[in-house]
Amino acid sequence: MSLFSFLGTLEIGFIFGLVAIGVYLTFRVLDFPDLTVDGSFTMGAAIAAALIISGVNPYIATVCATFGGAAAGMVTAWLNLRFNILHLLASILTMTALYTINLRIMGKPNLALIMEDTVLTPFEALGIPNMYVKLIFVAVVVVLVGLAISYFMKTQYGMAMRATGANPRMAQANGIVIKEKIYAGLALSNGLVALAGALFAQTNGFADSTMGIGTIVVGLAAVIVGESLFGSRSMLVIIFSCIIGSLLYRLAVSVALNADFLGFTASDLNLITAVLVGLALIVPHLRREQKARKAAAVGGEA
Amino acid sequence: MIRCENIKVTFNAGLATEKRALRGVDLEIPQAEFVTVIGSNGAGKSTLLNTIAGDIRASSGGLFFDEANVTAVSAAGRTRDVARVFQDPLAGTCGNMTVEENMALAYGRGKRGGLAPALNDDLRDLFREQLKRLNLGLENRLGAEMGLLSGGQRQSVSLLMSALQPSKILLLDEHTAALDPKTAALVMDITDQIVEEKKLTVMMVTHSMRQALDHGTRTIMMHEGKVMFDLAGEERSQYDVKDLLNLFAKARGDGEELDDDKLLLGA
Repeated sequence: MSLFSFLGTLEIGFIFGLVAIGVYLTFRVLDFPDLTVDGSFTMGAAIAAALIISGVNPYIATVCATFGGAAAGMVTAWLNLRFNILHLLASILTMTALYTINLRIMGKPNLALIMEDTVLTPFEALGIPNMYVKLIFVAVVVVLVGLAISYFMKTQYGMAMRATGANPRMAQANGIVIKEKIYAGLALSNGLVALAGALFAQTNGFADSTMGIGTIVVGLAAVIVGESLFGSRSMLVIIFSCIIGSLLYRLAVSVALNADFLGFTASDLNLITAVLVGLALIVPHLRREQKARKAAAVGGEA
Repeated sequence: MIRCENIKVTFNAGLATEKRALRGVDLEIPQAEFVTVIGSNGAGKSTLLNTIAGDIRASSGGLFFDEANVTAVSAAGRTRDVARVFQDPLAGTCGNMTVEENMALAYGRGKRGGLAPALNDDLRDLFREQLKRLNLGLENRLGAEMGLLSGGQRQSVSLLMSALQPSKILLLDEHTAALDPKTAALVMDITDQIVEEKKLTVMMVTHSMRQALDHGTRTIMMHEGKVMFDLAGEERSQYDVKDLLNLFAKARGDGEELDDDKLLLGA
């Protein structure tokens, strides 16, 4: 693997760290499996690209993209909470609708940003080689977001959100308005994913209507890889294990695709992802079974 | 004070499975009274408690805390006045959060959750001091995950949590039923202490006649969604478990022997 592609892998790994944090918030914290992210990732890219091309400041465009994703998350929450549509189905509906909306935002299936100003433009003038600038920029953004989210999870509001997912009845008995927390959680999660989409579009120079496909699986893969490596209860460690999980996942995929003797091509990516996520889920399960068998055997002798 | 005016609750109204859980409950509980609630399975005890807490909306009738009509207030909105402990020790706490985090949640009851850290050293000192009352050594395990504690320990902590914020009303739904006798006695002890200390208005559902008479100042028995009889003061102090059972049989008007083992055997 060349240095260039290694740095590119890390860069995408960091960006998908935001997706992983978003997925962690819905799947783990709120216990609300949310597939909206496939649509909100593209939406973030689409809004950022369309606004930048029409001459809006890239930073403002990125903020707008984040709010767009948050709104998408709230639609899913609304379908689920107001009309009792199963969470998975509600999020699939939003995701499907977003495909059309994203095409409308962009006006065509693909927008190029190569010649446009992006959030990176002010830093490119500093004289650091371009490929490092991108990596440093996304790393700093993602680490700052990670710190902010792990602080948030320890605030009164964040803790109420955790209780909402862990034990809604107890949460309600302690005065927590659980619907409000689910709206806020889905907005936050999809806002982060849209931010990732906006950053991806600007660092890679394009937005495409199909770029969001599989975002949920990649995010989930990162969460699971992180969880299996760091089994911690500390919020800071958990949030950063999402980011590290995302980096490791990207590196693993990149190695698999680059190892010629394995004979993989880029089109094999989805299978590799599915196998990796599958392994990450299966191994801890097998380990638990083995432990239980051992414990049972010891108990039998006593 | 809690006042129920002709509260009716019907589940699945209009369907074949229609169940009239409460059929017109009129009840007034003055400030600082401790009422124990008994009755056989399906009598409407838990429904009444859940209606007061707001988990269940009354189909008709009115509910008042002091003079405020709270019939239309949500469960979360009522928590400024109402604290509760559930029967299931797992229901009152979050198993995957730590002891101190759970207590911090309860400390925030009835307040708007802000973006300030939920925990700080002052709060930890307060929690430690409260946990010492239990004599379970939990004051040294603030950072332990709730799921690692035994059912009795979790229930004891739930009880402390219910008293962390000032409230007027404490609802206990068979909160000792799932505990072993020794732990149940400990939990009842702490219940009495807290009630005494905070001058709370209490409703405690119990399956144990003994508990119903030994604790509190008034006992009501529910049957088929109504308050069947209401015992207080001098009269109540002369009752023992046997009298209570006779009264129940007589009130039902059929002289039928009571076949609810739980009522008879509950110590």
